[in-house]
Amino acid sequence: MRVLKNYLIFFFVWGLIAAPLFGEVVKPTYALVGCRIHPVNGTPIDKGTIIIRNGKIEATGPAEKISIPEDAEVIDAKELEAYPGLIDAYTQYFLESTSPSTAQRQSRMMAASPPEERSWDKTGFLVVENLKFKKTTLDSLHRAGITTILVSPPQQIFAGLSALLNLNGEKLPAMVLQDKVALHLYFTTARGSYPSSLMGTVALFRQSFYDAQHYDLQKKTFLRYPDKVSRPKYDAFLERLLPYVIEKKPVIFNCANLEDIKRAIRLIEEFDLNGYIAGANEAWRVIDWVKKARRPLLVSVDFKPPITSRYANMGEELKKEAEKEIYPHNPAELQKEKISFALVSGKISKPGDFLKNVRLAVEAGLPAEEALKALTIIPARYFGVDSYLGSIEPGKIANLILTKGELFTADCQVRRVFVDGLSFEVKTAEAKSTGKAAAVNLSGNWKASLVSQMGTLESTWELTQEGNKVSGMIASEMGNWEISEGTLSGNKLTMVIMANIMGQDMELTFEGEASKDKIRGTISFAGGSAEMTATRIPDAR
Amino acid sequence: MKKIVVLVIVFIGLLLTPGWAGQDLFIKNGTLLTITKGIISGGDILIIDGKIRQIGQDLAPPEGIPVVDATGLYVMPGIIDSHTHIALSGTNEGSVAISSEVRMKDVINAEDTSIYTALTGGVTMVHTMHGSANPIGGENVVLKLKWGKTAEDMYVPYAYRTLKFALGENPKRANMMVVSANPRYPQTRMGVVAIIRREFEKARAYMEEWKRYNQLKKNKKLVSFLLPPRRNLRLEPLVLMMEGKMVARCHTYQADETLEFIKLSKEFGFKIGAFEHAWEAYKIAKELAAEKIGISVFADSWAYKMEAYQGIAYMAAFCAKNGVLVSINSDSGERIRRLFNDAAKTMRYGDLSEEEALKLITINPAIQLGVEKRVGSLEVGKDADIAIFKEHPLSAFTRCEKTIIEGEIYFDRAKYLEEQKKKEQKKKEKAEKKTPKGGLK
Amino acid sequence: MKGYLKMKTGIKKMVSRVNIKPGLSNFSSYFFSSRTKFNRKAITFGVVILSWLVINSLFLIAQQPEQVIAIKGAKIITVTGEEIPNGIILIKGKLIADIGPNVNIPSEAKVIEAQGLRAYPGLIDGYSFLGIQEISSVRATVDTRETGDINPQANSYEALRPDSVHIPITRANGITCALVAPTGGLISGMSGLIKLNGWTPGELVVKGPVAMHIQFPMPRRSFRRQSKPSVSTSKKINQLKKLFAEARYYEKRRLAAQKNTLLPYPDFDEKLEALLPVVQGQLPVMISVYAENDIKQVIKLVKEEKLKAILFGVHDGWKVANEIAQAGLPVVLDSLYNMPVRWEDGYDALYRNPAALVKAGVKIAFSSQSASVAKDLPWHAAKAVAFGLEAEEALKAVTINPAEIFGVADQMGSLEKGKLANIVLTDGDILEIKRHVKHLFIEGQEIDLSNYYTELLHKFEKRLNENK
Repeated sequence: MRVLKNYLIFFFVWGLIAAPLFGEVVKPTYALVGCRIHPVNGTPIDKGTIIIRNGKIEATGPAEKISIPEDAEVIDAKELEAYPGLIDAYTQYFLESTSPSTAQRQSRMMAASPPEERSWDKTGFLVVENLKFKKTTLDSLHRAGITTILVSPPQQIFAGLSALLNLNGEKLPAMVLQDKVALHLYFTTARGSYPSSLMGTVALFRQSFYDAQHYDLQKKTFLRYPDKVSRPKYDAFLERLLPYVIEKKPVIFNCANLEDIKRAIRLIEEFDLNGYIAGANEAWRVIDWVKKARRPLLVSVDFKPPITSRYANMGEELKKEAEKEIYPHNPAELQKEKISFALVSGKISKPGDFLKNVRLAVEAGLPAEEALKALTIIPARYFGVDSYLGSIEPGKIANLILTKGELFTADCQVRRVFVDGLSFEVKTAEAKSTGKAAAVNLSGNWKASLVSQMGTLESTWELTQEGNKVSGMIASEMGNWEISEGTLSGNKLTMVIMANIMGQDMELTFEGEASKDKIRGTISFAGGSAEMTATRIPDAR
Repeated sequence: MKKIVVLVIVFIGLLLTPGWAGQDLFIKNGTLLTITKGIISGGDILIIDGKIRQIGQDLAPPEGIPVVDATGLYVMPGIIDSHTHIALSGTNEGSVAISSEVRMKDVINAEDTSIYTALTGGVTMVHTMHGSANPIGGENVVLKLKWGKTAEDMYVPYAYRTLKFALGENPKRANMMVVSANPRYPQTRMGVVAIIRREFEKARAYMEEWKRYNQLKKNKKLVSFLLPPRRNLRLEPLVLMMEGKMVARCHTYQADETLEFIKLSKEFGFKIGAFEHAWEAYKIAKELAAEKIGISVFADSWAYKMEAYQGIAYMAAFCAKNGVLVSINSDSGERIRRLFNDAAKTMRYGDLSEEEALKLITINPAIQLGVEKRVGSLEVGKDADIAIFKEHPLSAFTRCEKTIIEGEIYFDRAKYLEEQKKKEQKKKEKAEKKTPKGGLK
Repeated sequence: MKGYLKMKTGIKKMVSRVNIKPGLSNFSSYFFSSRTKFNRKAITFGVVILSWLVINSLFLIAQQPEQVIAIKGAKIITVTGEEIPNGIILIKGKLIADIGPNVNIPSEAKVIEAQGLRAYPGLIDGYSFLGIQEISSVRATVDTRETGDINPQANSYEALRPDSVHIPITRANGITCALVAPTGGLISGMSGLIKLNGWTPGELVVKGPVAMHIQFPMPRRSFRRQSKPSVSTSKKINQLKKLFAEARYYEKRRLAAQKNTLLPYPDFDEKLEALLPVVQGQLPVMISVYAENDIKQVIKLVKEEKLKAILFGVHDGWKVANEIAQAGLPVVLDSLYNMPVRWEDGYDALYRNPAALVKAGVKIAFSSQSASVAKDLPWHAAKAVAFGLEAEEALKAVTINPAEIFGVADQMGSLEKGKLANIVLTDGDILEIKRHVKHLFIEGQEIDLSNYYTELLHKFEKRLNENK
C-alpha cells in the first residue's frame, strides 16, 4: 500500500513538472546555411548560418564560426536572405465581424425605447475573445513575410483592447503572444446617438478622461477616509479606463488625417496619456507636432489621401497624383527628421499590398534598413516584446523569413517562414481565378419590394456590374434613383443610392447579401430603415 | 530706452506668435474705401510685416517690396462673414438637445475648399459656428481664411468667445421629414426656453459647488479628504457666460422668441453677442436698440420656412437706421461669394448710403466679434486684411480681383486665370497625344 | 335715316298731341291703339334703334375709356433699337401707340414726368416658381413637383395662386412677365408664361402651354465623393424615345380609327395625349440638362426626334458652346447662385458660362429659378456681365431673348410701337442693384408698387414712431 502511494505521489509530482514538457510538440532543430543574414541589431552577415532549436534562435553568425548540430535539419539557404519575421503592428485580420451594420444600428435607434446608453463603449471588447482562425489569411500573411501581428478591435470610439499574435499556425488562442495590449480609440461617431459628430467625440474623450481621473480620486480618497467621504458608485466603464488614464498603459489613437493627429496629441498632452498614434499617413504634413510629441508612431502605408485632404478635393487628377507621387513620401520625410516609427498596414486588407506599398515607400526615399527596422525592432520595442522578438539574436524566438531577393525589391519572394521555430514553406500565390470577388454577377433587371413602416413599395432595378463595382438605377413610383456607389465583395452588397423623396435629395444606404438571383438586405435613411428583397427578372431573350 | 525694449519684445513676440507670418506689400493708386475715414482716390497703402503702416497719396514704398497696382480698382477692408459653417468637419451635434461641451476649435478643417471659395468673394475672416439643431449648440470659432496654412495659423485668439444658441423651428425639429417614434425633447418653443433655463440653473448650481469647494480648500484641516466636484464640460461654458467671459450668439426668427431670449439673458446675467438671422428684428427694433444687442442677418433670403415668412428685405436697412448694430452674413458656402452684392441690396431696399452699406460687412461684424481693433477698416495699425475689386464693391458689375490677409495675397484672379489657361493647354496636348498619328501604340 | 327722322317727328307729334309722358305702359297702350300699320312699323323700328343706342352707350360707359398715358423725358432703352436719350412713350390702352424723341401727346393723356429716369421693357424671367410656391419647406404651399416620373399632363399654370406675395414683390423690381414651370421626375409637365398682374389665373396667363419640361439630373457636389458621369442619361434618353414612339403610335391608331369606324380607338391615355403636340413638333420641349456628355446626348436626341427644343441649366455649356450653336438651340440659364461641381472647372465656371455661350452664337436667357428671390433676375444678368458678358447682351437676355424663345416677341421684350406696354421706369441702370423702380406698367396699366415687404415695413415703422 505504501509503495503504491509513493508511486502515485511520484507520478503526480512528475506529471506536474513534466506536463509542460509533455504538452509541447517536440520541435525539430534547423540549421539555415549559407544565407545572407540581416540581424537588424547589427551589420548584415554574408554567408551566415542560423541554428534554431526549441523554437528559439540558438546561434547565428558567419558560417565558419557556427557548427551545425547533429540533430539539425539542414536547410540550404544559399542565395537566400534571412530577415527577422516582419511585424505588422496595426491590423484587423482574424476578427469575427462583430460590429453591427449601419442598417441594424439605425433601426435600433428608431426603436421604441430610448437609444442605447453608451453604445460607443466597447472598452470591454477583447480582441483575444473574438478571433477566428482562417488558413487563407495565415497563408497570405506568411507569403508576405509577416510573422507577428497586432490585431486591433473594429472601429468604435472606445474600441477595445488589442492582442498580439505570433502566426505559428496553432489553433487560436494558442497564437496569442499578449492580450490587452492597448486601448484603442477612433475619431469616429456613434451615428444616431451621442456623440453623432466628431466634435462630440472629442468632447466625449475629454469628459471621460476627466471622469476617470475624478473616479480614481474618489476611490482613493474613500479608501483613506471611509468615514469622511461617500462611497463612490461603481462605474464599469470608468473602471476599465483607469489602467490607461491613471496607470498610463498604452492608448492607441487611430488618426485618419492630419487633424486627427493634432487632436490625438492634444488629448495625450491634456491627460498625460501613454498615447500612440496609428494611421497617420499624412504625418509628414504635421511633422513639427509629431517631432515635438515624441510618441510611438504606427505609420500606415495606405497612400490614398484622406477625404478631408485638399489632395482629395481639388480634382481627380490631383487625387491620383497624390496617391502615386506625394503620399508615398510620408515615411521618408519622417525618417529625414529622425522621427522613429513602425510601418503598419492599417486599412490595407491584403498582406501582399502592404508589402508592395512598403516597397513604394522605399522607392520614394525611405532607406531599406530603416524600413526593415520599422517592421521589426521598432514595433517590438513599442509593445515591449523586444526582449524576444524583432531581431536575429541568440535567445530570441525563432521568427525568421528566408527570401529570394532582397526585401522591398520588386522581385522579392518569400520562400520560407519560421514562426516560433516552426517551419512553413511558402507556395507562390496561385494565379487568382478572375472574378473571385465577382463570382456572382448581378447585372440585369430585378424586381424588388421594400417593406417599411410606411407600407410596401415596389420597384424595378437595372443593375450593371463590372468587376465588383455595381451601378444602375432603381425605378419606382417615387421616382428614378441612381445608384452612385455599389460594391459587391463576396456575397455582401453595399450600395449608396441618390434618391429624391418629395422634393428632398437624400442618400440612402443599402447593405445586404446577394446571390445569383436574389438580393436581400436593409435600406436605411434618416428616418429609419426597411427590409428590401429583390428577385431577378429573367431576360426575355 | 525702455519703450524701445518693450517694442522690440512685442515685435519678437508677434513674430513668435503662431500664425503671425505677416508679409510686406505696397498697394498703389487705388480708390481706398477706408470705411471709418472716408474715401481716398489715388490712394496708396504701405504694409509692413502684415500691418498697415501708412495710408495716403503718392507714398514712396521701400525698395524690394512687392507692389500691387490698384489703378482703376477699389480697395476695401477684407469682408467679415459673421455666420458660416465652413472649414469644419461636422456642423451639429444633433443627437442631444444640449451640447455646450463641443468646440468648433476641435474640428477645424483647414483644407475645406469652401475657404478658397470665400476668398474669391473678398472674405478674409469668418465666424464659423455650430449649427442650429440644438437649443444650446457649442463654442464657435473665428478664423482668418489663410488658405494653404494650418488650422492654428487661421485661428483668431483675440475674438470674443461665443456659444451658439438656437430658437424656433430648427431646434424643435419642426421640419424633419419623418417624426421618429421617440422624438427628442424639446418639440415646442416653450420646451426650448425651458431647456435653456434648466441648463443655466444647473450651471448656477455647478458654479456654487465650485465656489464652495474653493472656499473649503482654504481650510487646511479639510484639504486631505476634500474632493473637488466632478468637472462637467457641458456646464462649464454656461458658467463662463454667467461670468461674462463668453457671449451668446443666438439663432432666432420670430420677434417673440427673440424677446424671450433677452429675458433669459437678464435672468442669468449673460451677454448676447448678436442675434443670428432674426428675420423679425424689424418688429422689435426699439427693444434691440435699447438693449444694445446687434443682429447678424441675411439681405433677402427668406420664405423658406414658416418662421422666415415675415422676413422683409428692408429689414437690415431699417434696423441699421434705428440704432441697431447690423451685420450681413451668408450662412452658406455659396452666398459667401457675394456678400458685397447682399450689402448693396440695402441701398435698394432701405436707402442706406454706400458707406453705411459697406459697414454691414466690415466694421460692424468686427465689432460684434470683438476684433474691431485689429480688422474691419483700413486704418494705420490694423491688420492688412484687404480685398481689391474691379468696380465699386456695391456695384452689381463688380468682381473681386485680389484677397489679401496680413499682407499676403491668398486669392489672385490674374494668377488663377493663368493657371486655368495652363490647364487647358495641358488638356489639349493630352487630347492630341491620344489621337494616333499612324498606328496605335 | 329717313325712317328714323320720320319716327322722331312722329313721336314728337304724338307726345305734343297726347300730352302725356311717353311712359312704357302709356306707350304700349298707344302703340296698340295706333291707327295706321305704318305708324306701328315706324315705332317698332324706332324702338329697336333706340334700345340699340342705349345698350351700346351703356357698354361704353361700363368700359374704361381707352387710357392714354405719356411717359415724358425718360432715357428710353428700347433693346432692339437705338437708345433714345430723351424721349416720349405714348401708351394707348394696352399697347405702345408711339415711341420716339418727338411724339405728339394728346390732350387727354395722363403725363408722367420721367426726367432723369430710364425706361426699359419689362423684364422676363425664363424659369420661375412664381405662383406655385409660397414657403419652400411647407409642403402644403408647394406645387412645383408632382409625384412620379412621367407627368406630361401636369400643367403648372393650372396651379397658379395669383395672391402669392412673391408676385408683387417681384414686379416691384422690374419684372413684368415670368415663365412658371414645374420640376422633377423625367417629364415634369408643362409651363406657362404669366404677366405679374391679375386677379385670377386666367388674367395672369399670357401664353400657355409654352413648353413641355424634361429633366436630366444635375451632378451633385457630394463632399464625400466626386460625382461620376451618369450612366443613367442614356437610359433616360431611351425611355424618352420609347415614350415618343408610343405617342406617335397612339396618334396613328387614333387617326386610323377616325377614318375607319371598324377600328377601335386606343384607350385614352392622358400622358400620351399630352405628348402629342411635342412629337408633332408644335409644342417645344424645355430640357434641363447640365453635364457636358448629357448635353451632347440631348442635342442628338432632339435632332433624331425632330423636336422643337430649348435647353435649360446647361452648366457645362461653355464646354460645348459650338455644338449648341450649331444645333440652333436656345438656352435658358438657371440661377447663377449655384456652385460649380468640379473643382477643375474653376470657381467662376458658372459665371463665365453665359459669355462663352453668347460668343459662340447661342441665344441665352436668364432665370431666377425661384419664387421668393425671383426679384433677383436682373442681378443674375449683372453677375454675368461682371465675368465677361457684354452689358447689352445681358439686357437682351432678360428682355427680347426670352420673348423670342417663348414665341411672344411680337407682344413684348422690347419698347416698340405696337407691342404691349410693359414698361419699367428706374432711376438707374436696371441691372444694377442700388437703383429703384419708380413706375411700372403692365399692359398699359400703371401698377401699384406696394407689396408684402412694404406693408410689413410700414406697419412696424408705425410701431417705432408710436411713442416718439
